Amino acid sequence: MSKPTPLLPESDAREAALFFVVAALCFLAVLAALTARGTYTAAKAWSAQVEGQMTVRLMDTDRRGADEAAAIVRGLYGVESASVLSQAEMEALLAPSFGPGGIPEGVPLPLLIAVETMASAPADAETVSSALKAAGFNAVTEAHATYAAEARRALGTLRVAAIGVVVLLTATAIAVIAFATHAALLARKDIVDVLHLAGAEDSFIAHLFERRFWILGLKAGAAGSVSALAVTAMIVFSARSAGSQSQLLPQLSLDFWDLLILAITPVAAGLAARWAARGTVTHSLRATL
Amino acid sequence: MNRFRPDFSDDPAVELNGVSLRYDTADDVLSDINIRLKPGSFTFLTGASGAGKSSLLKLLYLALAPTAGDIRLFGQRTGMLKRKQLSAIRRRIGVVFQDFRLLEHLTAFENVALPLRVAGQKEAAYRTEVVDLLRWVGLGERLNARPPQLSGGEQQRVAIARALINKPDLLIADEPTGNVDPDMARRIFRLFQELNRRLDTTIIIATHDMHIIREFESPVLRLQHGILVEDVEFQGA
Repeated sequence: MSKPTPLLPESDAREAALFFVVAALCFLAVLAALTARGTYTAAKAWSAQVEGQMTVRLMDTDRRGADEAAAIVRGLYGVESASVLSQAEMEALLAPSFGPGGIPEGVPLPLLIAVETMASAPADAETVSSALKAAGFNAVTEAHATYAAEARRALGTLRVAAIGVVVLLTATAIAVIAFATHAALLARKDIVDVLHLAGAEDSFIAHLFERRFWILGLKAGAAGSVSALAVTAMIVFSARSAGSQSQLLPQLSLDFWDLLILAITPVAAGLAARWAARGTVTHSLRATL
Repeated sequence: MNRFRPDFSDDPAVELNGVSLRYDTADDVLSDINIRLKPGSFTFLTGASGAGKSSLLKLLYLALAPTAGDIRLFGQRTGMLKRKQLSAIRRRIGVVFQDFRLLEHLTAFENVALPLRVAGQKEAAYRTEVVDLLRWVGLGERLNARPPQLSGGEQQRVAIARALINKPDLLIADEPTGNVDPDMARRIFRLFQELNRRLDTTIIIATHDMHIIREFESPVLRLQHGILVEDVEFQGA
């Protein structure tokens, strides 16, 4: 006894087009989610790092005075380390402005102390400034946390935007599937009518479409998900190969959450397709007797 | 023109009381139709093109709801039923459409088995029954042929077998011989008559073939401009 022919005919060109559209939407959604998460992770690591840093700019003193000032700062509670930046470190810091040729002679350079604070009980800029002022130093202290706060705000906006993009793409996918199901229903109205008049319940007919679109969504979601993974990996790999030093470069680590996004996308696409198909078919059938 | 007066003697299989039908804003297609058909009756429905025969049959096989009046099938008022109950009623009705409405991607066997599949039965349970019925309508050698591979007459017989497979309490046929030659038409009507006698199925057939109506002496309902009129000439058994 052979397997019975499905009551809905095999997929046609319309479904191939729908497969492509859903796969493309899933690809964009995963790309948006992975990129946003990678960027957010990298930026979070960067902001955690800079939040524990301060720079002290010393005026009206020499290298020896700077070493004394660094020793005072090191002695403060909440300071992990403090050291005067060497000539080489200053040149590395200013390399983006002066190029690989180094700093021209005669350019006056400030004396800077790089301060790392304790993570558990960090000293603040006010404490450092007060201690140096009490010791007779003319110093300006800048906490990098000020910049990190701006970066955090930008990251928050980025996260909301990424979630918005994912939600928009998901809604678009559902709308496209609902539209396609409606078109499929109209194209197969003859079959639906015959089934309906043969006594098939709404749930029986809806199930035929649900199953078809669940599989389509699952496959299209998997195709989009894998493509997005490949493209993201390629972008990150080529950026790193080109020697980009940007710490804000998305970090594709393929950790648990990245894998979860990749695994969930096909299932979510399948469920969305199934849900849209069921809703459309049930709604259309309810318009009949 | 005399309005048709229904017979109120027994519990009817089909009962229409003051039924009217209107599509959108146009005039009534059917107006104040009153019918009572006894279980096991064999009735012809006739009338000129556009008289409302197909519309009346659509009401009977629950493809449409009347705009006025009520329909009772097997004692149940269809307007009061839930969707699931309507589906259950539809499973007691076999319909033969003029245009067959076979599913082209299914074989003759699968088309006939469709109502049983819809009812949730497995092939192992119905295979013999379907094969026997297809043999009975002369298509025992065409089980695996798909509709495009069948002649008009063969397709018609597949459609009839599909309508009969679940031994319906009511069989409705809309111009079932519209696409076949007179000999085949006669064979098909004999098949309906045999079914009516053997299984006591209530049968209503829309046709404008007056030769057939004269040959098979059965009661006739005649529609004229959407109104059911008595047709004394063919009031038979």
